[in-house]
Amino acid sequence: MKLNTKDLLSAGLFIAFAVVGLWLNQDHNLGTARRMGPGYMPMLTFWLLIGLGSFVLVSGLFNGPDPLTKWSSAEIGFLIAGGVVGVAAGMIAARIPGFPSAGWNALGIGLFVGCLVAAIPPGWRALFLPSAAFTLFGLVLEPLGFLVAITVTVICAALADKEHLERPLGVVGLIAFLCALCWGIFIRYLDIRVPLWPQL
Amino acid sequence: MDLLANLAHGFGVALTFNNLLFCLIGCIIGTAIGVLPGIGPVATISLLLPITFGQPATTAIIMLAGIYYGAQYGGSTTAILLNLPGEVSSVVTTLEGYKMARRGRAGAALSIAALASFFAGCVSTVLVAASGPLLTSVALSFGPADYFSLMLLGLIISAVLAQGSVVKSIGMVVFGVSLGLVGTDVQTGQQRFTFGIPELSDGVGFVSIAMGMFGIAEIILNLEKPEARTVMTGKVGSLMMTREEVRRSIPAVLRGTTVGSLLGILPGGGAALASFGSYMMERKVSKGRHEFGTGAIEGVAGPEAANNAASQTSFIPLLTLGIPANAVMALMVGALIIQGIQPGPRMVEAQPDLFWGLIASMWLGNLMLLVINLPMIGLWVKLLAIPYRHMYPAILIFCAIGVYSLSNNVFDVYQTVFFGLFGYLCSKLRLEPAPMLIGFVLGPMMEEHLRRAMLLSRGDVMVFVQRPISATMLAIGAIALIAMVLPNIRKGKDKALQE
Repeated sequence: MKLNTKDLLSAGLFIAFAVVGLWLNQDHNLGTARRMGPGYMPMLTFWLLIGLGSFVLVSGLFNGPDPLTKWSSAEIGFLIAGGVVGVAAGMIAARIPGFPSAGWNALGIGLFVGCLVAAIPPGWRALFLPSAAFTLFGLVLEPLGFLVAITVTVICAALADKEHLERPLGVVGLIAFLCALCWGIFIRYLDIRVPLWPQL
Repeated sequence: MDLLANLAHGFGVALTFNNLLFCLIGCIIGTAIGVLPGIGPVATISLLLPITFGQPATTAIIMLAGIYYGAQYGGSTTAILLNLPGEVSSVVTTLEGYKMARRGRAGAALSIAALASFFAGCVSTVLVAASGPLLTSVALSFGPADYFSLMLLGLIISAVLAQGSVVKSIGMVVFGVSLGLVGTDVQTGQQRFTFGIPELSDGVGFVSIAMGMFGIAEIILNLEKPEARTVMTGKVGSLMMTREEVRRSIPAVLRGTTVGSLLGILPGGGAALASFGSYMMERKVSKGRHEFGTGAIEGVAGPEAANNAASQTSFIPLLTLGIPANAVMALMVGALIIQGIQPGPRMVEAQPDLFWGLIASMWLGNLMLLVINLPMIGLWVKLLAIPYRHMYPAILIFCAIGVYSLSNNVFDVYQTVFFGLFGYLCSKLRLEPAPMLIGFVLGPMMEEHLRRAMLLSRGDVMVFVQRPISATMLAIGAIALIAMVLPNIRKGKDKALQE
């Protein structure tokens, strides 16, 4: 057997997405071919996706080998841990009154914590630290303002690159430059409605 | 002449101070990201989309278009001087261009790259202007069934031309179409797949998908691989070309412009495909073909003309039929829709300012780029001194602020993170994001046309084969699919895309 892991996983992704979609689509009226209801087109596309997925699945059994990048056990472990801890953190945050449960904050907290946990093994840092940084921006922007949000996001993102750790002054310079630039473009020129300073 | 009057109107629009300024800004940004490896036009345009919303539609599109064709100019600079393609579309320029630089003809290679781009830009501008009204009048006679088949054809070809497995690319197209169906159903008002999340009732955020899958996923992938930066050692030398070089370049430029213009119009085509196509052609037919591999000037002139021609003619299907030919054009559709303009055949009539203004601005932009690029080449090369570790936090911040400012909602920020992670997964599984984005944009329109066509035909599927236009489209699509199943043609395509 020459298994093509990439194709098998792609097929799995397509089929899983389509099956979930078809299941959710039960809520929608299909209508007839002449008068299509809201569920008709989704039904067509999901079945098509299942068909394509099956094709990729079958051909993936033979056209390999095309293995994925090797993951260490720590990478796999922390990926799963990140997922579990992230979901847990999000659910806990949703129960805490005040900031953690307001708006989309619980989602953001869950995503941020999950990304941080997954970023513990060095192999995942390039993937999860920028993602964590991006999430952090969303969490911090409204309560702490534009400038703080830029600062913490840049710091978090900078951790993904080893050279930044050796030269922290460069990061400080980058923060100052980006704060000035973004203030000029977004606040001064485009006048977007965000708090500049922390909202106490 | 109607055309002349329209063009005069277009120049009137493009020559206003604001539009001229944003055309220049677009060209400068385009050149900069063209020079810089690690950030391409798709990421940049999705990053700047939110910034353009406050501007009039015409100004926004003029600037975004400038980024796209500007990147074609900039990409050649680093390809020639450093053997480092700034864009996918200038990968082939490294083959002959860098060899020319090694022989001490860097200046000549840069000159011909810029001049060939300029010439191709002028020709394709005329092409867009001439074919626009023509195609529009054809498109106005299209019924819903014809439209559906046309979009289907566009999606099939964009999947067929994408890199890698065709079936997986079609899968991504269908995936994109399904994702496009999330939100309120237009006809019944029913919420579909929204999980009760109010933010999803307008559909999944287009900007979030584009930024996540092209912006953030790109950053992650760039961070994963070690940074390879070479320092330029040689001198640029004289920008003047010898008489012999000029004589050899002219036919190559003409061929490149033709190939590029044709491949640009094709769905799934665009600058990258065009430069590959032109390179293959030059290697076969040009007089200097025996010199290929040692720095043949035809190998720079042809592809550089082709990628610029294609970047402009790929606007034709968008402006006349409302169908995006590639990921950049899908972003343009997004920009237009958010501005409240439905792309389609009525756009030329309903938005003359936009259509003719854009065309005039393309010509002006090419002129600006010639000036920006040739005399200031040293300045652009200095940009390469910026290490990627300083660039990526800036890109992240710009994405984050941009996506938040869309509707002042952090939900969009988290959505973008999700698509960033998904984009990373896709690249690991060799699933192409571009067909998905095109499918996402076309999905809702296809559903609309399908419903209308079936209503008119009283539920008879045969309508798609009975109407001649629709039948032709479906036949071409079927042929393209069958061709890909044949092993010989598929091998040829894989070879062409790999080189």
